[in-house]
Amino acid sequence: MTDTQAAPATPSKTSALRSGLASAEIDSRMVGMILATAVIWISFNLLSDGDFLTARNLWNLSVQSTSIAIMATGMVLIIVSRNIDLSVGSLLGFLGYVMAMVQTRWIPNTFDLGLERWYTWIVALAVGLALGALVGAFQGFLVGYIKIPAFIVTLGGLLIWRGLIFRFEQGQTLSPLDSTFGRLGGGGADGSLGDWKSWLVGGIACALIIASVVLSRRRRQRYDLPLRPMWLDVGIAVLGCAVVVAGIGLVANRYISPITGSPTGIAYPVVILIMVTILMTFLARRRQFGRYVYAYGGNPEAAELGGINTRKVVMMTFVLMGVLCAVSAAVQTARLDAAVTNLGVTNELDVISAAVIGGTSFAGGIGTIPGAVLGAVIMQSLRSGMVLLKVDSPTQDVVVGLVLIVAVGLDSTLRKGAK
Amino acid sequence: MTDLDTPGTASAASDGSRVPLVDMRDIRVSFGGVHAVDGVSIDLYAGEVVALVGGNGAGKSTMIHTLAGAHPADSGQILINGEPVTINNPRDARSYGVETIYQKLALADNIDAAGNIFLGRELKTRFGSLDDSAMSSATQKLMARLNPRFKNLRTPVKSLSGGQRQSVAIARAVHFNAKILIMDEPTAALGPAETAEVRELITQLKSEGIGIFLISHDIHDVFDLADRISVMLQGKLVGTVNKAEVTKDEVLAMIIIGKMPGEVSTEEIEEITH
Amino acid sequence: MRARHVASVAVAAGLVLAACGSDDDTASDDSTATEDTEASGGEGGDCVVGVSWNNFQEERWGKFDEPAMKAAIEAGGGSYVSNDAKSSAETQASNVENLVAQGANAIVVLAQDGEAIIPSVQAAIAEGVPVIAYDRLIEDPDVLYLTFDNQLVGEMQAQALFDIQPTGNWVVIKGNSADANADFLRSGAEKVIGEAVAAGDIVIVGEDYTDNWDPAIAQTTMEGFLTAENNEIDVALVQNDGMAGGVIAALDAQGLAGQVPVSGQDGDQAALNRVALGTQSVDVWKDARELGTAAGEAAIALCANPDPASVEGAGPFTTPGGNEVSSIFLEPIPITQENLNLVVEAGWISEEDLCQGVEAGTVAACP
Repeated sequence: MTDTQAAPATPSKTSALRSGLASAEIDSRMVGMILATAVIWISFNLLSDGDFLTARNLWNLSVQSTSIAIMATGMVLIIVSRNIDLSVGSLLGFLGYVMAMVQTRWIPNTFDLGLERWYTWIVALAVGLALGALVGAFQGFLVGYIKIPAFIVTLGGLLIWRGLIFRFEQGQTLSPLDSTFGRLGGGGADGSLGDWKSWLVGGIACALIIASVVLSRRRRQRYDLPLRPMWLDVGIAVLGCAVVVAGIGLVANRYISPITGSPTGIAYPVVILIMVTILMTFLARRRQFGRYVYAYGGNPEAAELGGINTRKVVMMTFVLMGVLCAVSAAVQTARLDAAVTNLGVTNELDVISAAVIGGTSFAGGIGTIPGAVLGAVIMQSLRSGMVLLKVDSPTQDVVVGLVLIVAVGLDSTLRKGAK
Repeated sequence: MTDLDTPGTASAASDGSRVPLVDMRDIRVSFGGVHAVDGVSIDLYAGEVVALVGGNGAGKSTMIHTLAGAHPADSGQILINGEPVTINNPRDARSYGVETIYQKLALADNIDAAGNIFLGRELKTRFGSLDDSAMSSATQKLMARLNPRFKNLRTPVKSLSGGQRQSVAIARAVHFNAKILIMDEPTAALGPAETAEVRELITQLKSEGIGIFLISHDIHDVFDLADRISVMLQGKLVGTVNKAEVTKDEVLAMIIIGKMPGEVSTEEIEEITH
Repeated sequence: MRARHVASVAVAAGLVLAACGSDDDTASDDSTATEDTEASGGEGGDCVVGVSWNNFQEERWGKFDEPAMKAAIEAGGGSYVSNDAKSSAETQASNVENLVAQGANAIVVLAQDGEAIIPSVQAAIAEGVPVIAYDRLIEDPDVLYLTFDNQLVGEMQAQALFDIQPTGNWVVIKGNSADANADFLRSGAEKVIGEAVAAGDIVIVGEDYTDNWDPAIAQTTMEGFLTAENNEIDVALVQNDGMAGGVIAALDAQGLAGQVPVSGQDGDQAALNRVALGTQSVDVWKDARELGTAAGEAAIALCANPDPASVEGAGPFTTPGGNEVSSIFLEPIPITQENLNLVVEAGWISEEDLCQGVEAGTVAACP
């Protein structure tokens, strides 16, 4: 059978490593993707004479990846449950436009409350999130309960939500936006955490990593379950904290803001992305809902016979997707400081690609949230790297397309090989 | 074991001394005008294995699905421990202690044994999160009892052998204190060694007082495991017989030409067995 | 088959007859169905101009184009009739026929579909009713094509930037690579900066297309260029206002907004506001009223003489479809801080929207 079975009597080095990884709940695909990212980054750095691996470029890359990455975390659950959502790009445009309407028209004009109120960004965001959930519930209901294929429902959505933008203000560009809302985009002098707050966030992240390792070890101890070797647990905690410290020390705080002249720190959209990733991972792995999504994707019949309310589960994946579209829409419009009619056009393809490069399978039941986030980062790395090298966008499209095919091809070949 | 009736009568409890665990009366199911199950009555006692047999399309799976909650009956009555019940979905069935092991081994392939055993009934921490450690631990204990050779607690069940998967499916039923177990072709996907493993399991469950409905087209399985045999043909019940009082050929005659052991001629039996 | 064909011809003939009939019913009109149109058009007072809008729901047409067109027609002594196809090419085809039936002496068509409308247009012309293809091309050699000179837009963008900064590092952010207009604009720009580039005064340090003219992609591209050039970029030639917004957001993140000249086009409210704020240098604007006025005047002229080539300002133009049509190209206007008053006076944007966030007195248009 496979490497996952109990280690043989005379374990070779590689199989020990593999089973170590397996028991650490780190799949080898993730390790492969991290290595691939490293190769891409180092290659671009060599080709660009050191422009790529600069604090500034990596900081930009982190912000540029957020919008797609946030949506990709939701797309994973949609694809895992054997559906697809083609409407995310249009929905993002629609929600972004509505949030901009709230700030530039409804609050200041319709309600005559003026611009730049302290609550403007909160109301705008709340309206966007609620509307995202509502649209998601609508599409999810049609897919889950009425059983219209998701491809059709969301293809319709792709047309509908984009078309509806033109119902407001004839679709003219709405700009500038509320300045507090604008911070969600990461631009300007106040779009990031700055020096000490970044370290504070880093400290909390590190504490959480250590706590989760310790707690999981304790829990397994309590139930008399086999434990990971101590060195591995310590290694995971140390490595996790090292990544956090390096990210802050070598990128976020190393990048000196050209406006303020002091360390920029982690951008707000990146903070949002990290929170979304943690939350979605928790939802997928530690909550009943996530378990049901994966069970349904693995075998819809079994899930149904297991007494799971599969229709509700399917609908909820779309509700989540709608909410995440709203989050991405806030980030993108804030970053652009404008809502435009073509915001997010073809984003659905980037989001699906990110999820798929990140190891999500269209066969259903397989895919991870961190994988999709890394998939988004890989795609954006390719794009950004090629812009740095002045490769024109048609050529970029060719390269990204090839990478998508190769990544998925390689993945399915390896998966077959492992069987 | 209960006193068994003479062949040809549908019930094993004509003395009325015991209340059957399951009593399904006059069940009817039709799909678009076709009577898949047409007024069938069967019953089951604690610690007993009743085999439900018949050819393809005889309606045996449809019949038992009404008990499992996979497909509700159009009409008829189901009594559990003498109480009439309504079963519309798998959750209802489970609430009456009815657990089902499906022909196609209804497991979520991408999830590990513990995840499958607790599917739909996950253990949670006090924060409402999945308590994977508790579920793993319970699975470990359960498997130690059912199938001590089972070790792959953390791998997705996709990579398990057919017998191991069947163990997971059975463990899932057993863990939740099933009183009534429905096994739909439990050995269909298995090799000889694994089949033996499952037979052993069934014998053990029976000894624990669980009533089992066994759906099978394998006459050897049926004769090895069942106490009584209910035969269906074209949506109707041919009859229920005590295994001890019939021969395999007589049961085959019931399955194929729908005649009870007393009614069938030796020529007809000859024809069937050839 | 043959019989059916004959029948349909008969029906068509009947329609033409019906059209003639209704012409006769129109009291103010002299028959246009015959060849003697020249005699009829001598005075503007008898000129009925029919306008077929493709979709009057779109705010622009009712707000800017129609009033200007109507004013020009009435000033020329003509009368205005119109109908709306509500975005349906089929409806528009019958709408054009209806206008002929209503006795229009000249027809202005804002085509929903420049191909599908050809038969109706040809039928009108065959009846002696001249047709103006308004803003959008109709591939028929006998129409008068009236639009803004798009080639000039690229030139004007480059010229405005060149006037500010004729040397140094330039980046060019173009539209969608699949959109011929992007290359069109680029070649217009080349007329202005080509020499300076050849001489080495201008160095194009980055040039890229932008999928779907997407501002977010333009922003990412600009961020990459800024990183690669270590912020040493002197000019950003950007092909429209949406992308200019993205480019300026990228500049803003580096504290460079307002220091690097940026171009655009379309007259977006947000872009005009940026021009007032000084973060965008130029916005090439096409005044819809000007187009409406030109169409009204041309229609009156066509009533007098239905030959498109005879209209003042018309010149020959070879269409992408290979037709030789008479056309009038209007010049767009490059809007900078100096002439912002034009857009306010035109009613294109309110002073409040234009001047949002602009310090009073810094720009002439924002007192």
